[in-house]
Order: sequence, then structure tokens, then C-alpha cells
Amino acid sequence: HLSRYAKRSTRVGLSVNTVPCTVKPTVTLQIGDAETDSSRPGVYVIDVTLPIGQTVNIQEISFKNYYTAYVSVRLLRRDGEGAAKWTTCLRNHCLMPSPHTEEGSQDYCSVYRQQMLIEPDNVTSVRLILRQPSSAWLNFSVEDIKIHPCLNEDSEWDIPDWLSDLTQVDQLCDLQGLPDPQTVSSSIQQMWALTEVMQTNQTTASIGRFDVDGCYDINLLSFT
Amino acid sequence: MAEKRRSGGTSGMSESKPTKTDTEREFLSQAGVGELLRGALLKMVEARSEDPMGFLADHFCNQASEAENGTGGCCSDGDLLNLGAGAHEQQQLSRALWHLRLAHHSQRSAFSNNVRVAYDLLTQTGPQRRGAVGPSGPAGQCSSNSPGGGVRGRLYTHTLQCLCSEGGVPVSTSAPLLRRLHCQDHEAVPYDIFRHGVLTCAVFSDYIRRAQRLYAEVCGPAEGPAGRTLCLAVLGTLHEALETSRSNGGSSDANHYSNANAKANPYLEAKVSRYLEASAKISPGKLAQAMAGAEPAGGNMDAKEFEDAAAELFIARVRVVC
Repeated sequence: HLSRYAKRSTRVGLSVNTVPCTVKPTVTLQIGDAETDSSRPGVYVIDVTLPIGQTVNIQEISFKNYYTAYVSVRLLRRDGEGAAKWTTCLRNHCLMPSPHTEEGSQDYCSVYRQQMLIEPDNVTSVRLILRQPSSAWLNFSVEDIKIHPCLNEDSEWDIPDWLSDLTQVDQLCDLQGLPDPQTVSSSIQQMWALTEVMQTNQTTASIGRFDVDGCYDINLLSFT
Repeated sequence: MAEKRRSGGTSGMSESKPTKTDTEREFLSQAGVGELLRGALLKMVEARSEDPMGFLADHFCNQASEAENGTGGCCSDGDLLNLGAGAHEQQQLSRALWHLRLAHHSQRSAFSNNVRVAYDLLTQTGPQRRGAVGPSGPAGQCSSNSPGGGVRGRLYTHTLQCLCSEGGVPVSTSAPLLRRLHCQDHEAVPYDIFRHGVLTCAVFSDYIRRAQRLYAEVCGPAEGPAGRTLCLAVLGTLHEALETSRSNGGSSDANHYSNANAKANPYLEAKVSRYLEASAKISPGKLAQAMAGAEPAGGNMDAKEFEDAAAELFIARVRVVC
């Protein structure tokens, strides 16, 4: 037995890659009289708003699913003139392949910019419309909603992974009894360089043998 | 200098001074001494030997015997036939090796020149062949027209063997390499392959010496052999780096340059990026990580096994001569 309005505390997310936003209390959509109807709602709407005046170019919307089967996403975008308009950017995205079963019910999900029907730029508000047609579940929602903005132009460099993976020698203090990494690395580098020198100087010239494994193909022997 | 000395001693005889210096100059230019000395000095600068006197002695000795064999057609043939083809070959071989030893393979142009000289020397072996070709110049410039078309396979293999052993590589370690570079005894080895073989052996010698030093470093201050997992971890980083920077093979490199002038830059960029990535894998940090991650247990690896394992990494990337 549950209350019609699933109470949601307002949250402000402040992690490294997310914008601070406010998640409003969930609103249910029901047919019929709200007071007397005891059936459980099948649709919830969650609004996520940015602080007044702020807009964001969304890279990703991430959340943790809790038994929601389908989610649609609408965005309130501010266009050039300052007018705000709601548009659907994701239509009935399936989170649970079979709404009656567990699969996907508690997954961590992300909706990316590339999946959206429109460019999620200059967004002031995000509306998540959650649907769960199955009556098997007592309650459903999504949790931990985070909006990730697009990073700066510089990040489009596509810095390779190995660059960020460079480990400092000092960070590793557990080198008791092991050889000095500097000298070993120096030797290995020289050996690597020597092998590269050999490889780049290889010749494509051939000595012009006709035999294969010591045997000649009879057709190669001429009669003249 | 000679002139100064003379003028000091014969201050009174002004008439004879000009004629004496003139005849001296004439004598020197006729004998071609200037050329000889210039050649010797150039070789010396290239080789930078630690024993200049010995180097010069060897150099002039070689020049003398080359000049003898080149121009003295009839008279020296008799001597050579007495010596026998084997001993003559041995002589040529040692001379060629002397040339190859002059410059380190990192001195590109000097090394290439020396390889050329050695190749020309070795293509001239055999008194019968010389009879057919006719008197050749002292430096053997007729190599491209020599009837054999290259160095005899047997001599080529012998040269490579000597290079490896002189470089401090044990026979068992260099055997797999030589199998890849091997040419049949009867085959005529063209210049490109000769150069490839010589360069590979020179580089391999450096590589093995480095690997031996690496083993000592991995053993550390302790006297005993190094741990197996530690050795494998260290060699593993080298393997990874080589896999990352693996060039796509000589033939495709050539194709890239000839077909894709427009694409030359991206190709180089990709190569540079591969090199950077490979070098990141063998940074001190990465090696410290690899070594720290190696389990202490698992037995030991002795120096020979380590050397063989390192050699295998190199040899696997040597193109087989075919």
C-alpha cells in the first residue's frame, strides 16, 4: 500500500562531471479519480531543473533504474530568442526487455547525446517520463539522476588512453629488493631501439630463389 | 715545414732554394702522396680508433696489398695460385672485416661506405674470376659488372659468423639468426642482402651485449641468478613495446611511399604515435610496476636462458632471406 505521490527528496548532484541540478518530486499520471482509485500508477514523471538562468549542453544523462520498463525524455530548451520549448529527445527507451521479469530492473543506465533525436543544447530542464506496464512491481522509479555536460573543445583531441596511464616511479614505494627501474628501463629502451633499427633497415630485396623447401617446380626448368 | 727547414739552413744560397722546393713539390704530386694521406686521414676521422698508429699501419698495409692484387695481373697471380684460393679468401675476408669494424652501425653514412667497400672486396675473390675480368682498380670499382653478380654465399655466411663472434655473441645464440639470414653456399648474394645481413649482425651484437648487461642489472647486487618471473616480467615489457611499435613490414613501407604521396603525413603520424605509445610501455614507471607485480616464487633463470629469451624477441622480427 503506498501513497499516491512517491516522496522524493530534492537532491543536488555535485560530482566532477555533472551539473548541479534539482530533482523535483515525482508526479504520477493516472486516469480517474485520484482519491478513490486504488490501482497503482503506471506512469511517473520526474522533472530535473537547472538553477535559474543556467543552461547546459548535455553529453549524457545517467541514472540508476528501479523497475522502470520504459523511459521517455523531454527537454526544455532555450532557443536564440530566449523562448523556451519542450521537445522529445528520447521516445520510449526500453530499460527492461520484459517488464514482468527482473532483467534490467536495477541497471545503471546512461542516455547519450548521440542517442537523442535532437541536439540537447541550451537545456534548462529535463523531464523523465517513466512507464511500467506490468502490475508485478509495487513501485518503480529511477534514482541518482545525473546530467553530464559536454566538455570543452579541447577534449575532442581524443587523447589516447596510454597517455593518462603514465605511472610515476615515485608513486610505487614497494620496490624493496627489486632492481632499479631507471637502469632496467634504460637497457630495455636501448634494446627496443636496436630492434627497431634492424626492422626499419630490412630490405625487400630477394635473392631470387626458385626452389621451395629445397625442391624445384619442374615447370620452372627451361628446355632451352 | 720542409721548406722552412731548408731556408733556415741555406740562407746564403738564394738561387737554389726555388728549384729545390719545386722538385720536392713535383715529387710529392707525382707520387700522389697528397691523395694517399688525405684518404688515410678521412678514414681515421671516420673510424676514430683509439690506436691511431696501429690504425694507420693497418690502413696502409691494406692499401698496399689491395693495390698489389688489383694492378699486378700476371706476377701476383702466380703467388696467389701458390697460396691457394682458400688462403686468399681468408685474406679478403679479414680485410673486409677490418673495413666493417671501422665505423659503428650508428654512424650511418660511414658504415654504409664501409659495407660497400667490403662488398666490393668480397666480390673479387678467386684468381680465375680476376683473369676473366681483367685488371681492376685498387678499390675494385668493377663489382657491378663482376661475372659472379655478388658475394659467394659461403663467404657471406662466413662474414656474418665472424661479425657475430667478434661482437661477443656466442655461437649458440647467433645460430637462429644466421639461419634466417642464411644463403646457400653456391648462391650469389647481391648488395642489398649483404648489407641487410651485415647490419643485422652488427645490431644484434649490440643487442646481445645489452641483454647481458640487463641480466646483470636484474640480478642486482646479489650474486645468485635472477628470479624467473622477474626476468619474464622485464622481457615482457620489451615484447609489449615491440608489438606496439611493430612496423607493417618493409614491403608495405615501400608501397606507402611510392603510392601515397598525399598520405605521407598521416602515415608518419601514425608511426610516430605508435613509437610514443611503445615508449610509454617501457618507461621506468611501467617497469617498476611490472617488476613489483612479479611473484617472488617460481625458480631462477640463468644468464644463458635470459640471453636466449632476449635473442628470440629480436630474431623473431628479422626477415628471412629468400
